[in-house]
Parts: sequence; C-alpha cells; structure tokens
Amino acid sequence: MKHDKKRISKIIDELIMYCLSMDSTDIDVKLENREDYWKIQIKSNCNNIKEEKINRLIKCLNYPKQEEMEEYYWELTGECDVDTELSIVGMMTNKAEVNFANDILEIVLYRNK
Amino acid sequence: MKERGIAIKDSVKENYIVIEKSVFPNNGKLLFLTFFALSLLLFGMLVDKPINIITGLYKISIEPDLLITDYIGVGGIGASFVNSGLLTLIAIYMLYKLKINISGISIVSIFLVAGFALFGKNIFNVWPIIVGVFLYAKFQNDKFSKYIHIALMGTSMAPIVTQLMFNKTYPIIFNISFALLIGLCIGFILPPISSYMMRVHQGFNLYNIGFTAGLIGTILVSLLKSYGFLPQKRLIWTTNNNLILGLYLLIIFVLMIIVGFYINNKSFKGLRNIFQYHGRLVTDFIFLENFGITLINMGINGLVSMLYILLVGGALNGPTIGGIFTIVGFGAFGKHVKNILPIFLGVFIGSVTKIWSINEPAILLAALFGTTLAPIAGEFGWKYGVLAGFIHSSVVLNVGILHGGFNLYNNGFAGGLVAALLIPLIEAFRKDED
Repeated sequence: MKHDKKRISKIIDELIMYCLSMDSTDIDVKLENREDYWKIQIKSNCNNIKEEKINRLIKCLNYPKQEEMEEYYWELTGECDVDTELSIVGMMTNKAEVNFANDILEIVLYRNK
Repeated sequence: MKERGIAIKDSVKENYIVIEKSVFPNNGKLLFLTFFALSLLLFGMLVDKPINIITGLYKISIEPDLLITDYIGVGGIGASFVNSGLLTLIAIYMLYKLKINISGISIVSIFLVAGFALFGKNIFNVWPIIVGVFLYAKFQNDKFSKYIHIALMGTSMAPIVTQLMFNKTYPIIFNISFALLIGLCIGFILPPISSYMMRVHQGFNLYNIGFTAGLIGTILVSLLKSYGFLPQKRLIWTTNNNLILGLYLLIIFVLMIIVGFYINNKSFKGLRNIFQYHGRLVTDFIFLENFGITLINMGINGLVSMLYILLVGGALNGPTIGGIFTIVGFGAFGKHVKNILPIFLGVFIGSVTKIWSINEPAILLAALFGTTLAPIAGEFGWKYGVLAGFIHSSVVLNVGILHGGFNLYNNGFAGGLVAALLIPLIEAFRKDED
C-alpha cells in the first residue's frame, strides 16, 4: 500500500489533536510495528473531559474498515484543528479498544498490514 | 450490544470497550438505489415514444456536452432520463459486483452519475475515464474496488472525450485514438491527485473531484490551446417543463421521506442530530445516524432545493435537476437544510447587488452546486456560509473558461478555490479558541 507509514503517522496526529482538545497535559504514544499489523497506543490525562466527546470517539472508531473510503480521504487525517477526522481513523483501523477511568483515557488501535 | 451490524463488547473492566468491526448490511440500500434508477428509466419511457428515445440517445452521444448542455434540449426528456437511468443502473451494478459497502459516499456517487447524466455524462463518454482509473489500480497492484468512487465521480471530465472524438478538423481514426488516450490519462492520474487535493481545502469543499478535475482541465486545455484547439462556448437550456419534471421530483422526494420514516421506526428521530453535524468531509449520516433518517434528510434536501428553483422563477431542466440530485445525494454525506440555506442566501444577496439576475442559468447552478461549501456554514456559522455563497457566485462565473467547460463540476473547482482562501482567513480572524 502506498504511503502506509505516512498514514500511520497521520492517525497518531489525529489522536494527539483529539487529546489536546480535551486539555491533556501528558500524552504517551507507543507504536508497535509487527509482522501482520500496526498497534497504536495512546494514553492521556484529560482535564476537560466531556462525555459527548468520548461518545463521539467510540462512535467514530466503530466505523467499519473501508478501503475505498480510506484511499480517497486519508490525506484529511490530522490536517484540521477546528474539527476532527476520527471517522477516517475508524475506517483505517481493524480493531479498537477504548479505556477511560480516573480521568485517564487510553486508546489502542490495530491496523492490519 | 449490537448496533447497525457492529458488535461492541463491554468487558469486565469498568469503562473498557473493545470495538470489533463488521460490515453494514447492504440489501436495503442497494434496493433503494435500484428503485431510484428504475424510476428514472420508467419516467423517461413514459414521457416519450421509443423511436424518439433511441434517436435522442444517439444525439446525446455524438453532440458536444461541455458546460452547459442540457440533454433535454438535445435529445428530449425521454432520452435524457433513459440515459440517466441506464448509466445509474450500470454504476449500481459496478458497486454490487465489487462488493462495495454502501455508505454515504456510495449514495453520492450514484446520485452524481444520475444527475450529471442529464447534462454531460452519457452511456458512451464515461468509459475511458473509468478504464483509466482501473488501469491505475492495476498499475499499483491494488483492487479496483478501492478506487471505484473516484472512478464514478471522476467522470466529470467525460465531455472532453466527446469533444475530441467528434472534432471535425482531423481524420476520424486520429480523433478516436486521441480522445480515448486523453480520457484514459485523466482517469489514470485522478486518484493520487484527488486524494492530495483534500489538504488544500481541508474537506470544506465537498466536491473535491470537481476541484481536482478543474485543475487537470485547466492544464489540459492550456496545452490543447497551444496547438490551436479552441473550445467553443455552449448554452443549451430548456424551459417550460416545470410541471412534468416537478411532479416527478415531488413524488420521488416525498417517497424518500415516507420510506425513510418507516425504516426509522415510523419516526423522525435523529433528524435533529443530523442538523447538528457541520458536514465537513467525512460526515457519513448513514453511519453516524442510520439509513432511515438519512433518507428523510435526502428527501427534505430535494424538496427544499426544488422549491428554491421554483420560488426564484427558475426552470427545472437537466442541469438544475442535476444540481438538485447532487444536493439530495450529499444529504447522505454532509448536507442538510441548516448548512445549505446560508449558501442559497449568499447567492441570492449576490444576485440583488451584482449585475446578473437570480434566475439566470449560471446563477441557478451556482446556488445549487454552491452548496459544496455548506460545511463552512456548518462549522463557522450561517454568516460565514452567506459570505461563502456570495463570493462563490462570482468566482464560479469566471473559472469555467480555464478548463473550457470540460469539467462538469465547475462549482467544485470554484468552491475549492473559495474554501482554500476563506478557511485560513476565517480561522485567523474569528474570536474563539486557539
């Protein structure tokens, strides 16, 4: 696939923007490049958490993997700071885990190669 | 819990959600699209005699179709709608064969094919571009299904195939080869450029392919002009069919609302949610809400845009119905009354203060297709939407000459320019967060 590494980097951009929009002050990013998949892990404190935003995140990450959508729209990921492109992140990933407890948000995304 | 074919398992840990994805069921959506295509075909067959339809289809195929060529004026209402119905059925079959998961963008692709098959795309001139995209997929060792939406929407440059093929200056063999070659080349280069262009307007211009095709067309026409090729001006615009065409549209849009109402458990629940979305790319209402309420939104968009045309004394014809179908299609992918009305208002204010009148062909199209900038109204507020519509109505009248009218999505080209200029300015000067 063309620009695969760039696409991974843009997914991370988008997630960091999402965390910053909730006034995060500490963000940890871990990226694993495995033989069959990429694993992106982001852990962040959220000082200004809004339930609506968490629900939106879960809704967008639900978006089924859609190659035809990804191929056309992936360049938009991480580009805009007035709005999010989490639904594109959803369609670029195969599995997602979201954990939120004690004002700490953890998102784990898997993208098959 | 199971929602729209997606399983979300709540695990033992509190607030821990594992999202396991599966595909949406397609059946109802494909059926809806097929009924829509059949309605076009049936309407075309009912309003004209078979012999007129056949001769009309022949005329539509060989006549130049650069902007603005109303197929109703070339081949008649029957042939235009049969052309649209056939092309739409073929496009739906392609989505079905390629096992495409029908989402908002699939509905947009189909409605764009249906709408523009009334003024520029026909069963003859779209193929070189589609094959060009197919060759690009093969060149990249990729599946064609990944590029199918770009292929379907990319047929906006189809008029150049007809124009070059039926050019009387050169021998016919040269014309055919050259037209096919240019069509294939356009399709071949479209996928990487269209994806890249998203960054220019950040998804605030919904007709991104129009923006891309406008740039490609500008370079292509500049090259062709250097060899003495001069694109002609064209305006075929029919009037006096408002009753029959309006009746057809009214039935289709009301049916959409009724069917959507029943699918949505006999309610309008979720419509308010749709109005809350800004509409910037990617806003897929089918996924974010559900298919039923999306259908209702599409029907409302259709009624409102048709009403606008009738209220300003405009004509319902191939190009304006193309514009209305585009708004209806994008009713599944970002447009709703709240973000399109400010654009209409901007174009309307423009027509009061500028040198043209509101019901001139290009201005009617500027209002309908100008809703490509609806996300600006959605994201930044209605005043910015009015401003975008006001500027767009002037820009769109001046950019057509750059691509010689070969890019059917001329408003997408103009919209891309307006958004690229307006967005950084709005972001720089509006008073709110960092």
